[in-house]
Amino acid sequence: MAERIKRTPPPKGDPVVRLEGITKRFGKVVANEDITLDIFAGRIKALLGENGAGKSTLMSILSGRYPPDAGRIAVDGRPAHFTSTSGAIEAGIGMVYQHFMLVRSMTVAENVMLGQEGGIWTSPRRMRDHVAELAERYGLHVDPAAKVSQLSMGERQRVEILKLLHRDSKVLILDEPTTVLTPRETGQLFEALWAMADAGKSIVFISHKLEEVLAVADEVAILRRGRIVDEMDQNEIGSKEDLATRMIGRALLLAVDRTRAPMGETVLEIDNLSGHGLEDIGLRVRQGEVVAVVGVAGNGQKALVETVTGLLPPQSGDVTLLGRPWREFYARPDWKETLSYVPEDRMGLAACPELDLTENVLLTTRAGFVRGPWLERAKAADVTRGLARRHHVTPQEPAALARQLSGGNLQKLVLAREFYRKPRIIVAEQPTQGLDVAATEEVWHRLLNARTKAGVLLVTGDVTEALQLADTIAVMFRGRIMDVFDAADQSKVKAIGRLMAGLPADPGG
Amino acid sequence: MNAEFLIPLLAAAVQSGTPILFATLGEMFTEKAGVLNLGVEGMMMVGALAAFTTSLATGSPWTGLVAGGLAAAALGCLHGLACLTFQGNQVVSGLALTILGTGLANYLGTPYIGQTAPGFMALPVPGLSQIPVLGRVLFSQDALVYLSFALPGLFWLFWQRTRWGMACTAAGEHPAAAEAAGLNPVALRWAAIAAGGFLVGLGGAYLSLAYTHLWTNGMSSGRGWIAVALVIFAFWRPGRAVFGAYLFGGVMAFQLRLQASGTNLPSSLLLMLPYALTVGVLLFSAMRGQGGSSDAPEALGINVEPRE
Repeated sequence: MAERIKRTPPPKGDPVVRLEGITKRFGKVVANEDITLDIFAGRIKALLGENGAGKSTLMSILSGRYPPDAGRIAVDGRPAHFTSTSGAIEAGIGMVYQHFMLVRSMTVAENVMLGQEGGIWTSPRRMRDHVAELAERYGLHVDPAAKVSQLSMGERQRVEILKLLHRDSKVLILDEPTTVLTPRETGQLFEALWAMADAGKSIVFISHKLEEVLAVADEVAILRRGRIVDEMDQNEIGSKEDLATRMIGRALLLAVDRTRAPMGETVLEIDNLSGHGLEDIGLRVRQGEVVAVVGVAGNGQKALVETVTGLLPPQSGDVTLLGRPWREFYARPDWKETLSYVPEDRMGLAACPELDLTENVLLTTRAGFVRGPWLERAKAADVTRGLARRHHVTPQEPAALARQLSGGNLQKLVLAREFYRKPRIIVAEQPTQGLDVAATEEVWHRLLNARTKAGVLLVTGDVTEALQLADTIAVMFRGRIMDVFDAADQSKVKAIGRLMAGLPADPGG
Repeated sequence: MNAEFLIPLLAAAVQSGTPILFATLGEMFTEKAGVLNLGVEGMMMVGALAAFTTSLATGSPWTGLVAGGLAAAALGCLHGLACLTFQGNQVVSGLALTILGTGLANYLGTPYIGQTAPGFMALPVPGLSQIPVLGRVLFSQDALVYLSFALPGLFWLFWQRTRWGMACTAAGEHPAAAEAAGLNPVALRWAAIAAGGFLVGLGGAYLSLAYTHLWTNGMSSGRGWIAVALVIFAFWRPGRAVFGAYLFGGVMAFQLRLQASGTNLPSSLLLMLPYALTVGVLLFSAMRGQGGSSDAPEALGINVEPRE
């Protein structure tokens, strides 16, 4: 993440946008209640709050997607009524959504200019030149002639921002923009945000990540349960813990309270595993142990996880699961009762968005719900309801569709499903990515509890998470394990950053 | 095989391929905006009948041509109503359209069977028609063939160099993105259905006004389905559609000539040739499409979700 630069935001003048008394209900749920908020030119405002606190709803109202039930919006002191996103865009307010709105088969330049070409005829060269110039001005580096399908997530986000800049937006709203970014891309994004603020744009940065808010914001507004509970300038922000407390309304156990579990037999053993981008991987996971594989995404974690979970046959080397070689383990049908996989891609790999919760539970867990050729759906629905209640999944309705669940709730359901099978090996991939603080805390507790019966292989890019949960830490870089050490080994823990960058643990050596 | 056999065959291939070309380009135009319309066969039939009866009534083949286009476009708008307004399934609606269109044309056309109407005559282009071989193959045709020569280039210009083309492509690739950019994807799809339907209708009109000058029931005989397959074969590129259409036109002309020459091959086998080629072409496209990214519009066949 980019270091906080010494930046003096301009003084607050008249607000560019003023939201006054905004209230929005969805059925009985009050998403926003009597919210008043000022947005100033040249300043970065962070909107901090947990998932479901009402941040995205508030900004969707400002960007014209929903009309408010009550309240006023004023742009440059004049009242504004947006009936559509294009109305808001014309008034200079634009939003970068979490899910990008880009045409993958078109070039960067075409995407930026779409709907704004002016004139009937278009010229690819003129569009490219224009977009290149715009990208240069704000430090948003991306090749205007490239097809969007060839771009990384970070580059796609830059295209979205360029779209807004091309439309002369004065207020740019970014909804959880760092979720899809690598740490390096996050740094580049922050630099671009500062450049845009220096050029007089107002930035609204929606996030639930405290570090990012501390790093980038000139001012913070905290939302909790649909209300603004606190507003402060950057120099009034206290510690991270202080911010967290204000955000969730109670003191947060940023450190999970834990004691080591007794170690049992070895459940997973990897020796000299090579191929598919991996090089000579060796790892051992015992029952009662959490082994965290940390590293920047794309350093071979995917191949490692797919090999262990049976999706990718090992090319060379040995993988032994519960004392059985890989081929034998995955050839036998009862493996489903002994290994659980919590994938990174919740909506794609862990769940079927168009199926209901019961069916999603049945996807991996059919033991106990089968009589002869028949599936006992009613029994499965009962169990699903019980799981949802115990794991605090909302809604607790087994007939709800998976796509109707928020990321945090879906992850809780996936964990509930996987742990219900009483696995002896658990492979968890980025289990808390995109979750808010409270949900993260809950997922951590679940993983630690499950560890008493199983060995956990945790693959994460988040060092904090690894330190919270792991007994043993392995650092991965370019398909190799750089080092494996006990999580209590402070000197090695301090060197994780160096190891993740492919440098030796000891700076002298 | 000598030139006396080959040159008339090539000329016949162009003539026979032209209605397929119109229909293929029409369907391509609709599909580029994300709407799969399997009603091409039915729309061609209705277009052919409307063109024939109008020409018969007014004595002007040009009026008949426009009427054929409009009738097919109107039938296409039923598909728009089903899929764009009522969010119906595009495959089901398209199939229904084919059944409706062929049935309607055969029912209403029965009284006209065997009648002839004023149609388009061969119109050799002065100068160009004197070029050896090419002159007789390409420039001794009727006016509609010359019109079809211009279409692929115009299509390319439209999609690559105009903002409407870009907007239509966006509506077919990612309607939500088009909407976020301030465009109206549903309106764009309506326009694409109507314009594409008009072109399909021209293909039908060609059958009853230029290819023949008379009405017979079932006269499109599967050309609409061939057009649907050719859109896939052409990877949604107008230039390749020309090649595909003339290839099919060639096979159709070839089997007619072979039958006329009194070959021993059973005629049912010969009649099968174009359809066997369709299967082959689809297999070829599927094999080519593997590995690389598909050229189909990403949101093809997927309805635009209504706004929340």
